[in-house]
Amino acid sequence: MKISKAVITAAGREQRTLPLHALVDRDGIQKTALQIIIEEALAAGVEDIAVIHAPGDQTAYRQAAGSHAGRLHFIEQAAPRGYGHALLCARDYVGPQPFLHFVSDHLYVNAGPRRCAQQLVAAAQVVHCAVSAVQATRESMLPFYGTVGGRRVPQSPDLYQIELVREKPTPTQAEQELMVPGLRAGHYLCFFGMHVLTPTVMDLLDEFLQQAGDAPLALSPALAALAERERYLALEIAGRRYNIGVKYGLLQAQLALSLEGNDRAEVLAELVEVLAARQP
Amino acid sequence: MDIITAADPDLRDLSLETAGQGATLNEWLEQCRQLDAFRRDCPNLYERVRALFFLYAIHRFHLPRQTDLPAIGRVPFEGYVHLLDRRFEEAVDLFLQAQAEQGPNDTLASALAEAYRHLGFQTLVNQVRRSVKSVRGNQWMFRTGHPADQPLRIRPQLTTRPAPQTPFPILREVTPVRMDLSHSAWSDIFFLGMDYPEGARVLNVSIDLGVRGRDAAPRPPIEVYLRVIDEPVLRLVSVDLGAHADITSLAEVFDFARDYLGLLKAAVIAAGIVPPGLEGSGQELADLLARLVGPGLGLELASCVNGIPKGSRLAVSTNLLAALIAACMRATGQARSLTGALDETERRLVAARAILGEWLAGSGGGWQDSGGLWPATKLICGVTAAAGDPEFGISRGRLLPQHHLLDAREISAATCARLQQSLVLVHGGMAQNVGPILEMVTEKYLLRSEAEWRGRQEARRVFDRILDALQQGDIRAIGQSTTYNFTGPLQTIIPWASTFYTEILIERVREKFGEHFWGFWMLGGMSGGGMGFIFDPARQRDGQDFLGAAMCAAKRELQHALPFAMEPVVYDFAINAQGTSARLLTGDEALMPPGYYARMVPRWLRTDPQALPATTRAELSRLGAACHIRPELHGMVETLFERLLPRSGPEAQTDQTLAALLAQGGFDAALHEQIRTDVRNGRLGLAQNRLPASTTLEDVRPADVLDASGGLDPACRQAGLAALADGAVAVVSLAAGVGSRWTQGAGVVKALHPFCKLGGRHRSFIEVHLAKSRRLGRELGKPLPHLITTSYLTHAPIREYLAFCRNYGYEGPLLLSPGRAIGLRLIPMERDLRFAWEDRPQQRLDEQAQKVRDSLHAALIHWARQAGEGNDYTDNVPFQCLHPVGHWFEVPNLLRNGVLAALLAERPQLQHLFLHNIDTAGADVDPALLGLHIRSSACLTFEVMARRIEDRGGGLARIGGRVRLVEGLAMPREEAEFALSFYNSQSTWIHIDRLLAIFGLTRADLLATREPTGSGSPAGAQGAADGATEKIAAALRVVAARLPTYITLKDVKKRWGHGQEDVYPVAQFEKLWSDMTALPEADCRFVVVPRLRGQQLKDQAQLDGWLRDGSAAYVEALCAWD
Repeated sequence: MKISKAVITAAGREQRTLPLHALVDRDGIQKTALQIIIEEALAAGVEDIAVIHAPGDQTAYRQAAGSHAGRLHFIEQAAPRGYGHALLCARDYVGPQPFLHFVSDHLYVNAGPRRCAQQLVAAAQVVHCAVSAVQATRESMLPFYGTVGGRRVPQSPDLYQIELVREKPTPTQAEQELMVPGLRAGHYLCFFGMHVLTPTVMDLLDEFLQQAGDAPLALSPALAALAERERYLALEIAGRRYNIGVKYGLLQAQLALSLEGNDRAEVLAELVEVLAARQP
Repeated sequence: MDIITAADPDLRDLSLETAGQGATLNEWLEQCRQLDAFRRDCPNLYERVRALFFLYAIHRFHLPRQTDLPAIGRVPFEGYVHLLDRRFEEAVDLFLQAQAEQGPNDTLASALAEAYRHLGFQTLVNQVRRSVKSVRGNQWMFRTGHPADQPLRIRPQLTTRPAPQTPFPILREVTPVRMDLSHSAWSDIFFLGMDYPEGARVLNVSIDLGVRGRDAAPRPPIEVYLRVIDEPVLRLVSVDLGAHADITSLAEVFDFARDYLGLLKAAVIAAGIVPPGLEGSGQELADLLARLVGPGLGLELASCVNGIPKGSRLAVSTNLLAALIAACMRATGQARSLTGALDETERRLVAARAILGEWLAGSGGGWQDSGGLWPATKLICGVTAAAGDPEFGISRGRLLPQHHLLDAREISAATCARLQQSLVLVHGGMAQNVGPILEMVTEKYLLRSEAEWRGRQEARRVFDRILDALQQGDIRAIGQSTTYNFTGPLQTIIPWASTFYTEILIERVREKFGEHFWGFWMLGGMSGGGMGFIFDPARQRDGQDFLGAAMCAAKRELQHALPFAMEPVVYDFAINAQGTSARLLTGDEALMPPGYYARMVPRWLRTDPQALPATTRAELSRLGAACHIRPELHGMVETLFERLLPRSGPEAQTDQTLAALLAQGGFDAALHEQIRTDVRNGRLGLAQNRLPASTTLEDVRPADVLDASGGLDPACRQAGLAALADGAVAVVSLAAGVGSRWTQGAGVVKALHPFCKLGGRHRSFIEVHLAKSRRLGRELGKPLPHLITTSYLTHAPIREYLAFCRNYGYEGPLLLSPGRAIGLRLIPMERDLRFAWEDRPQQRLDEQAQKVRDSLHAALIHWARQAGEGNDYTDNVPFQCLHPVGHWFEVPNLLRNGVLAALLAERPQLQHLFLHNIDTAGADVDPALLGLHIRSSACLTFEVMARRIEDRGGGLARIGGRVRLVEGLAMPREEAEFALSFYNSQSTWIHIDRLLAIFGLTRADLLATREPTGSGSPAGAQGAADGATEKIAAALRVVAARLPTYITLKDVKKRWGHGQEDVYPVAQFEKLWSDMTALPEADCRFVVVPRLRGQQLKDQAQLDGWLRDGSAAYVEALCAWD
């Protein structure tokens, strides 16, 4: 399975500025969030990247992509018709090949030597099917994520067979349908914001679009249908994702990047100084 | 043990009686040893529970029947404290150790029975609780311990509004109640459903209701309203209970008994809005609301039950809880459907949460009770637990049953219509606690008691017949089956399911309608409240009219004998085809129910308009506009006006009536004032009731009592028969009390309570006592004079009832001795409440119920402080503000009121009185005991019996060398009572002249009070009579002053609304008869009698054991009914 294309969805009308935020990456270099995501994709072996955007955002994103701007294809989502629809806009772009998909409001910090996207693509190439990156997440964070239910794949400690996908489930629903053996109590496998998807997803999204009428089209129902239609796995990534769209999300992402990078000592010293200077 | 572990149903369902037939004492004891060892090691919960109930039954029923079991023993006080603190295992161990030391005896058998029974129920309750918590979908709430962990969010549809002044949308949930068309033989008790799923089946119908004559048409009786508000509080409003609170702390959410909002709080918790894991977390409610709803915002939840009275047996409270939970779950996205009906998964989830909510609020219901969530008619069945279920391997069945909706192919629309045209649903007006009945059902099921088990199997066959008749559309056959079920299997399992009132109603309906009356059908745990009568459709309207009048007439006849909570009502009903459903009210439509505004608007109007939130001002404006156009708000303006300027008429009238009653009842204002002062300054109180701590109190020696439990010298009987033949004896039944414990303060006349079916029908205590006197009188050929002492509270009801039933046909003289003293109850002192609840050992309740009780106690202490400690208690109907002043006064009353004098004038040969409590059902004029008393020449001979653990309230003791009875109130230390072998039955043989001598009086003094009939100056004779009356009164005062005055706390019910009841502890004073034994000049003897004779019935929960242990049969054998 060769994965040479990536799709970044950045058309959410309330999150248009997130990819433009500047952060300092692990090497101590200031970059936009979009640049960091693009580099994650490139490190996984992707050669070509599409960005789905809202009308009027192309120029800003092109600038935010910096030196990577030349690799990008910009696809406009004319009307805000949901996350699933945004991805569907890239149907012609990806064609009949599997592709790597990122959301634009997440940044990633890997725990081991391989970057998160690298782990995901490597796994997909072994199992030859769609694979979504997941992270065991505490139930209080369920309102922010799509969540999968399933069971471990024998002999593969990080892989799960996905049986069910629910978008932002309630804890009650999660407990009844999405408990995965082997996870800590109150933890569920939530999406990491990174997937290797097969073209079947596009077919499914198209089918759902016909039924949805004017309603927004979500991605999770299509992924749930994917799990019924073909083999679909989840990979528990050795790393962490940071949602920069939530309160203090950007700060947390920045801290995580800094503490994993070259400036670790400097950042820690600054933090200690801030703590020491606090009024009692 | 083979019975418990058997796989073969024939052996597993064998009753203990059959298995143990003919066993000797030692064989029973050996079985107990093996069972106790088995239950300690047994890994299977249900086998363990069954072993515990076997152990209970052996100790309660089988060992005491063994004639070679010694009667007397000692219960270790420490073990009793373990029992109170719910440390049942420790209690069992201590009692077994005491048994090893003392040898087996009846006293310890009673203690072991109590401990095993409690342990059995505790094990069961713990298991159900574990199952409730482990249901998937509930577990997360117990893990959520911080507001930041709250994973729920209010749906955006509820927080969206066009402008700040426009209202937030309101989510309105409307829910029917449920009726159980079959009566399931209580198979819906959780434990039965989980242990015997194949036997757990009910036919459950969702219905709309209206009260006939009040409501235009039936409608879903339950409405719940939920909306977001602009303040960071949780606002709970119960429109039907007239209560609301703005809750700002998490602690208050978990304080269930603080107000009438316990059910709403339980719903908020069970729905996960305030997850149970947050209890005691010390976190802020505002933080939780900010996360759930948004910063600065809160939630309002209002409940409204449309005037359906409590005790309807239609599961109103469970369905209300379910409706509240459904609304909360919809609002937080836990149900996919924000509006409309719920789907099956959602209904099951809400039902599971309702079970959790009931456990949290310390209430209870069956697993079918939230049936109103489902539409129309459904068959609900227990389900066998399978692999993957949390119950698998622990119980045979699942916690939640399966609901099968019966569609039109199974029950036709025509059948539903015919059912509606035939059935008359009523509320008879009684609202009784069915908790003890549910425990009895569980116990009998576990023991597989032979008759009851056959009854249960028969009820299953009846169920099939009802289901079949329903499918055939044969309503008449349904009526036949439900009647058969009620009179047959149900009463075989629980005789107490029927009441005298119910049977009168059935009899009168049958008499009136003959073959057009198709059947009776009991709803819920017991009859008397919600009931169904099935008629030929052509006569249904007549039936409704007749029942309305017949229930009111029967209630009037029995209102002093049975605890009625409200006026009976007839319902209109319709089958609800939708189940629970919700709508979103927006814009001008976003209004709460009318009752809500009747309660809240007066508060808003009294508030400075500037201080009102803008949304509230806007809401007032919308309400004003809606009052003009919406029919349901018609009359709102008048209502608000009355709320703002309440009329004071009824209160003034109540005060006047109370004052008049006090004046008529012989209220001694000076004595009352003295007692009130003493109570307030601490000279009288619960702690002061006690004898000094330095008192040496010992058990009596064998020579201090005469043992008549094994029979007496035949000469005693001869002497007794001779005295009876001479007409030297009369019976005195003490009937001044209102049985505070018997009906938990409902204020009925206990003497008139038709408490048990004896000789084929319900009999009151008075009837039982008269029947015993009748039998003896007939044997002697000479009727026995029978006196019944009354108080102002009981005199008129007893007099009227005896006139109504023509003295139950009693042939002999039957005299009432009216009371001459009355007391006015007091608001208790906080000191006494704390003494009762904190200093004295108290029975702890199950964990959650104990929390509720602690919260209730705090609320009642607050009430006492607010109402003024030691003030007169007048905030109730006058009857409930008064109290009889203790049974000591009932004997002096006989001397004062001329009743004894009249009897002595008519029967100069009268020498002895046999005095007994109204609830000592086995007490009779036994010739042998009478002879013993006569031959001893004693003044007073008291009957005592060997103590059992439940006999609390004093005993026979030696104090400073004198043998006397000591009241429980007066025990110098709590544990002192446990050293005493004998308990006072209160039955007393009295030598009249010697008693008079104690008062310094003679018969001549009594006779001198009578109206002169002979010659001489009438004025002089009247003067002499007055002088004698004064002499008697003075003599009584002197003795009264030498006897202690006790302060006691009594529970008093205050009724309000639609069958709602609150129970308040109030203080009153008493002087007690047994203290006569402390007077040195009273020559007292004490005779030990068998328990069958001396047992008093203080609590209705005792009745089942009393019936099963042979006591009822013993009493029946003493009676001649007609």
